[in-house]
Amino acid sequence: MIEVQNLTKRYGPFTAVDDVSFRVEAGEILGFLGPNGAGKTTTMRILTGYMPATEGRAVVAGYDVFTHPVEAKRRTGYLPETPPLYPDMTVREYLTFVSHIKAGRMNRAERDERIRSVMRKTHIEDMANRACGKLSKGYRQRVGLAQALIHEPEVLILDEPTAGLDPKQIMETRDLIRSLGGTHTIVLSTHILPEVAQTCQRVVIINKGRVVAVDTPDNLTHQLKGAASLYVQVEGPADATGALQAIPGVMRVRVSDRSSGYTGYEVESEPNRDVRRDVARTVVEGGWGLVELRPMRMSLEEIFLQLTTSEQAEEARHG
Amino acid sequence: MADTMHNITAVAGKELRSYFASPVAWVLMGFWAVVFGYFFNVYLTYFVETGMRAGMFGGPPTLHVNTDMIRPLLGNASVLVLFVLPMLTMRSYAEEKRSGTIELLLTSPLTDVEITLGKFLGAVGVYSALLLVTLVSIVILFGLGSPEWKPIAAGYLGLLLLGSSFLALGLFISSLTANQVIAGTVTFIVALLFWIINWAADTAGPTLGPILNYLSVTQHFDDFGKGVIDTKHLVFYLSFIVFGLFLTVKSLDTERWRG
Ligand SMILES: Nc1ncnc2c1ncn2[C@@H]1O[C@H](COP(=O)(O)OP(=O)(O)O)[C@@H](O)[C@H]1O
Ligand SMILES: [Mg+2]
Repeated sequence: MIEVQNLTKRYGPFTAVDDVSFRVEAGEILGFLGPNGAGKTTTMRILTGYMPATEGRAVVAGYDVFTHPVEAKRRTGYLPETPPLYPDMTVREYLTFVSHIKAGRMNRAERDERIRSVMRKTHIEDMANRACGKLSKGYRQRVGLAQALIHEPEVLILDEPTAGLDPKQIMETRDLIRSLGGTHTIVLSTHILPEVAQTCQRVVIINKGRVVAVDTPDNLTHQLKGAASLYVQVEGPADATGALQAIPGVMRVRVSDRSSGYTGYEVESEPNRDVRRDVARTVVEGGWGLVELRPMRMSLEEIFLQLTTSEQAEEARHG
Repeated sequence: MADTMHNITAVAGKELRSYFASPVAWVLMGFWAVVFGYFFNVYLTYFVETGMRAGMFGGPPTLHVNTDMIRPLLGNASVLVLFVLPMLTMRSYAEEKRSGTIELLLTSPLTDVEITLGKFLGAVGVYSALLLVTLVSIVILFGLGSPEWKPIAAGYLGLLLLGSSFLALGLFISSLTANQVIAGTVTFIVALLFWIINWAADTAGPTLGPILNYLSVTQHFDDFGKGVIDTKHLVFYLSFIVFGLFLTVKSLDTERWRG
């Protein structure tokens, strides 16, 4: 649905986006993850036809954004970093105007229904007659989303859709985005790491204009971790290390925490080998009393740190 | 084609609404009405007094309402245009850039030409409202005497063309900056240059002189004031407008490349 090939954008001598390529399949939610200044906004502005790339190609919903901008824009909803609102207009007037320039001609009843429907989806019905300039940050963001949805686009490009919202609004916005997945192809950018894990099926990690990794949140975890880990907590001060170590497939065991009456172990096993059943049996047969057993996953946050730090380390080496 | 018209109308409608939603259009309209009303009063008093004096001393009726009242009045209106219109167009692109709404326009399925024409027509709409206000005084004159309507219509056509030229110029300059004060000031200065450019014509020599004269926007207005509609003046104003709008479209495109 979206195909980006070797996209490069230079501002004068400065390269903001450097040879970026990725694909987004229909119905997928792709997270565009990177720290501030990574080139997320620049990439999205190219995808939405706001600015041309210096090099490379982008095809959105079957149309090249440089050679067929109007066709591509007709199929793309875009929420810029700052919602593009006119402060003097009421929410309803604003959505009416946007529906005219984005959805083109339609009869009055159809247009009214369209506007009502996006206001319902984004929970802004109560604000219909409020001037856009008088809205809270949360509502501004939602009106921005409503605006992006008004022409029923196949593709949604959302630039930091939860930035500046309070935790409750963030939850609501993520729910809304998840509910739009499947029927829409979505690219959302963020520099908040848990966001991609919660909302996206695939992640493109971008740093200093370059793509550093592309994968599912789960795979990225595995890829970096190499091996799978389990966390096991047993009753008593007993030492189960030896017994756990003896289980076939277990590579390493270490005590991770010890509190009054409980001992926690980290059990690292060979990749793609499920040792949970054996671990449970060993603990019970040893008479220790199993309190907890769960897979440990490295959070995306850690992955991200790892990726960016290794990049930085590399650069430092090259001087 | 129908879609293009729809898009242009949508942008023009939004422009009109935002002009009248902000105090700018109302303040301008008030200013315009007061100043025009003042001129009207001055000329009317002069006209009536001179006419009475002529009647009293049995002299020939020298004054004519068209040439001695309406013509100088519209001439004054044309000066007023120079001061008022830069304030009308200064916001148009500059404010959209400052607030980021330009991102909405440029990522909507609109062409740069549709956006520019919409903005231009919106501004022309507000300007036409200003002209309509002045028609009130003309209507009063019809009540007092019997002016000829054809020279009046020609004068108004001239005012419309002159003003629209300045609007096209103002749009272009507004498209170059995100600061509306700069846009307004530069527009005023450039418009003033086009206004007085023929002052230098006499001393500019045989080749440059006529060119400067030709570029003078006032020079082309005079005939309209006299009630004459000459194609060469029509062509001048229409070219000026088309060129201004063309530059605006180009400027939007360049802005894109610069990012
Ligand atoms: N119009 C511009 N002119 C010059 N540099 C720019 C411009 N826009 C962005 N940049 C630079 O390009 C880099 C990427 O910016 P951006 O795409 O906004 O990153 P992100 O959205 O990931 O924070 C930054 O270093 C930024 O300073
Ligand atoms: Mg950004």
